[in-house]
Amino acid sequence: QEAIKWRFQTYAGSALGEHVTKPVIDYINTAANGELEVELFYADQIVPTGELFQALQRGTIDGVHSDDDSMASPTPLQQFGGYFPFATKHILDVPVLFNQYGLKEIWEEEYAKVGVKWLSAAGQDPCNFNTTKEITSVADLDGLRLYTFPTAGRFLTQFGVVPVNIPYEDAEVAVQTGELDGMAWSGITEDYTVGWADVTDYFLTNNISGAWIGSWFVNEERWADLPEHLKAIVMAATEAGHTYRNQWYWGGEAALRANGDKLQLRSVPANEWAEVENAAKAFWEEVAQEGEVHQKIVNIFKEYNAVINQAGAPYNFE
Amino acid sequence: MQSVMRGYIRSVDAVNYRLGRVMMYGIFVLMGILLWSSISKTFFLPTLWTLEMAQFVMVGYYILGGPYSLQLGSNVRMDLLYGSWSVRRKAWFDAITVLFLIFYLCVLIYGAVSSTAYSLGYWKDAPFSFLAGVVTGTEEVGTLERSSSSWRPYLWPIKVVMIVGFVLMLLQCISELFKDILRLKGAEI
Amino acid sequence: MPYEMIATLMFSTMMLMLLTGQRVFGAIGFVAVVAALLLWGDKGGYDIGFAAAMKLMKWYPLLTLPMFIFMGYVLSESKIADDLYKMFHVWMGGLRGGLAIGTIGLMVLISAMNGLSVAGMAIGATIALPELLKRGYDKRMVTGVIQAGSSLGILVPPSVVLVLYAMIARQPVGQLWLAGVIPGLMMAALFILYITIRCWKNPELGPALNPQERDLPMAEKLRLLRAGLLPLMIFAVMMVPFVNGWTSLVESSAIGAITAFMAAVFKGRMTREVFENSVRNTLGITCMFMWIILAALAFGAVFDGLGAVKAIESLFTERLGLNPWVILILMQLSFILMGTFLDDTAMLVIVAPLYVPLVGALGFDLIWYGILYTITCQIAYMTPPFGYNLFLMRAMAPPEISIQDIYRSIGPFVLVMVGALILVMVFPQLALWLPNYVYGN
Ligand code: NA
Ligand code: NA
Repeated sequence: QEAIKWRFQTYAGSALGEHVTKPVIDYINTAANGELEVELFYADQIVPTGELFQALQRGTIDGVHSDDDSMASPTPLQQFGGYFPFATKHILDVPVLFNQYGLKEIWEEEYAKVGVKWLSAAGQDPCNFNTTKEITSVADLDGLRLYTFPTAGRFLTQFGVVPVNIPYEDAEVAVQTGELDGMAWSGITEDYTVGWADVTDYFLTNNISGAWIGSWFVNEERWADLPEHLKAIVMAATEAGHTYRNQWYWGGEAALRANGDKLQLRSVPANEWAEVENAAKAFWEEVAQEGEVHQKIVNIFKEYNAVINQAGAPYNFE
Repeated sequence: MQSVMRGYIRSVDAVNYRLGRVMMYGIFVLMGILLWSSISKTFFLPTLWTLEMAQFVMVGYYILGGPYSLQLGSNVRMDLLYGSWSVRRKAWFDAITVLFLIFYLCVLIYGAVSSTAYSLGYWKDAPFSFLAGVVTGTEEVGTLERSSSSWRPYLWPIKVVMIVGFVLMLLQCISELFKDILRLKGAEI
Repeated sequence: MPYEMIATLMFSTMMLMLLTGQRVFGAIGFVAVVAALLLWGDKGGYDIGFAAAMKLMKWYPLLTLPMFIFMGYVLSESKIADDLYKMFHVWMGGLRGGLAIGTIGLMVLISAMNGLSVAGMAIGATIALPELLKRGYDKRMVTGVIQAGSSLGILVPPSVVLVLYAMIARQPVGQLWLAGVIPGLMMAALFILYITIRCWKNPELGPALNPQERDLPMAEKLRLLRAGLLPLMIFAVMMVPFVNGWTSLVESSAIGAITAFMAAVFKGRMTREVFENSVRNTLGITCMFMWIILAALAFGAVFDGLGAVKAIESLFTERLGLNPWVILILMQLSFILMGTFLDDTAMLVIVAPLYVPLVGALGFDLIWYGILYTITCQIAYMTPPFGYNLFLMRAMAPPEISIQDIYRSIGPFVLVMVGALILVMVFPQLALWLPNYVYGN
């Protein structure tokens, strides 16, 4: 019988996609033994990331790996994907929030409403800064033009950051054409992997969120059409991919901060950075006012953060 | 019939000519925005909206200016064979091949309409009737799509501009088709 | 149907449609959307065309396009480059072929101000060409001189083609621009060498000016050198803030356009007619470029969706089992071949995404390859049946120059360009030395 074919597009460019998306696709293609063939496309290859969600709903694309924020999800979840300021501290916080604190059910429900099958979410790297200009105090953020996520960008404008929105693959060139002073987009692993470390000079160890929240999605009809055993393969591949990324980022962040020679490390003293953390608390309240779902999610973040703050190190930084 | 065609050509060409004449000054708007962008960046705080605004202006410039550029004959053709043909033969070929161009524009319009419907919160498969419903007030708009920048402009206006531009381009192509038909009939245009 | 077959079918249909003389963007766009609909049907095949419009909106370097085009038209329509030309006229006129050599010099200066070849073409055709013909220069040679010289606009920085290449190949723009400097100057030198040899052997092709025309007092001659200040000023106003990171690329291009405009105003050359022509032609040419790229992006997305990258890669490396250099040469040949038929921006958008990853995988330097690509584009600009410089030349040339003249004029210059291409291939340091030197420190 004929193989089922999927076109799958990721938010990541090819250098990063090699690690964050491709292993999962390779796993599916091998395990499905020719019954399901998934072809992988990188950022903006078939449709621009901003149009990704519509393309997924209609079936121009069958599957997507992205955060809710970058792909302009038309759900209340949009602001919480990517980096919701200071919602998490470590990469493992994300699966815990989804599987133990109830985010999973919310995500499933909200995406069912807009006709898309949400499969699974996972954590990735923290959101640090890599820039051409030195940052050693919060005041240094003033006037920086940074490539960043929509929600993170909105949060950072209060410190004078000018968020710039361009296609992922253009960010590196944009630093060189002067459109950007750097990025508030990822941890140091991604900076080295995609080449941003070659065009910027400094890495700020303070972050505005400890882990990226990203998801895997499939067009609803294509998912319904898929035989059960292939669904199981897709889910297993996704989980295996999460495990791989957990180590790749956790190890990569440490090794490149310690041994990387392209970016010089800079830090803002923790007591000064607390100003940014406090601003996030106000930001949470603001977002919670936007609707019922928002309120529910913010409450979950609060609940979880209360738990890890009580648990002490290594769950938090105290 | 011929007078209907002539009337169509006259009115469509007139509308597109006027619009194009206005759009062509868009170059100065674009310059102004980019100049302000560099001034504000150098002397004050960089502005949030300049790059994106420049992109929107550029879209208006080339899409709304498109029909006028067709009138000006700016759109290049490969004239290996075409260049040496007689006026009549050119008209024959154009009358047929412009249909391909019209088809392309129809697909663009379809895509633009469904994307605009999406930007107004509709994602099912009847975007035309939804948009019509929004205009007549029988349909409610849903979650409005915003640009993912921190300026966060709504995206429906620029998408509507694109629909308008593509439709006018289509009308201009039909006008070109009519001109070729009149030429083939040996009638005056 | 196998993917290779679909891809071949798409390409040949497009060629066929181009031959019917339909507008280029219509031919490319039609094939793209029909292929998308056939392959992906109602499952959204119809949004590929429009998705390209959204993608294009975000391609910010294209904002430089109208700026550079406008600058070119202002400079040529207002004739403020006149003095510049007079300078070369007086200083070089005494040599055999000296005016043609001076024209190449003029083109190099224009290239340093502008990122496209339109500006050089416009200035060359309106200012240099009539003068050259009046002085009895061979019409075929000078037509070639202007077309070839103006194509330097995309190799000598700033260059829009190299910016687009940078975005597709993800290579640093600054290094690519620097990499274009030496090959650009070398190519100008080769043109000059060619002109000198031709005119030395056959003085009738480019007679020396008679002394009355150029024997100005030294003071006057020096005064004319001041005309060189204008391009210098535009270059400085544009590039200094850019290189220092004060302004971005698109902002700089706007500043360049505004500077050229103000210069024309202050010199009293911005008449109503000049203004009207510059503004109108800028719209026309920008629309031409943008609609072609719009269609080509859709074509490229379908091509991409077909997995054409993998098909080409496996064809070259696995099935044919070729040596990297053979593959590279084949790629350049196919680019040159395609360039005769296809618009260079369309070529860049459709084919470069297929070739560039392969070039990288074969272990070649992508900065160096960017220069090879740009030289190929220069050749494509001039080679019939499709080339912008050809079109522009036809539109702008005086009536005594026929299409045959234009076609024949390019032959020797294309050979010189192929020679330059080979030199850069054999000696990569020609492109790489300067960026390595500057960025190495
Ligand atoms: Na140039
Ligand atoms: Na050509």
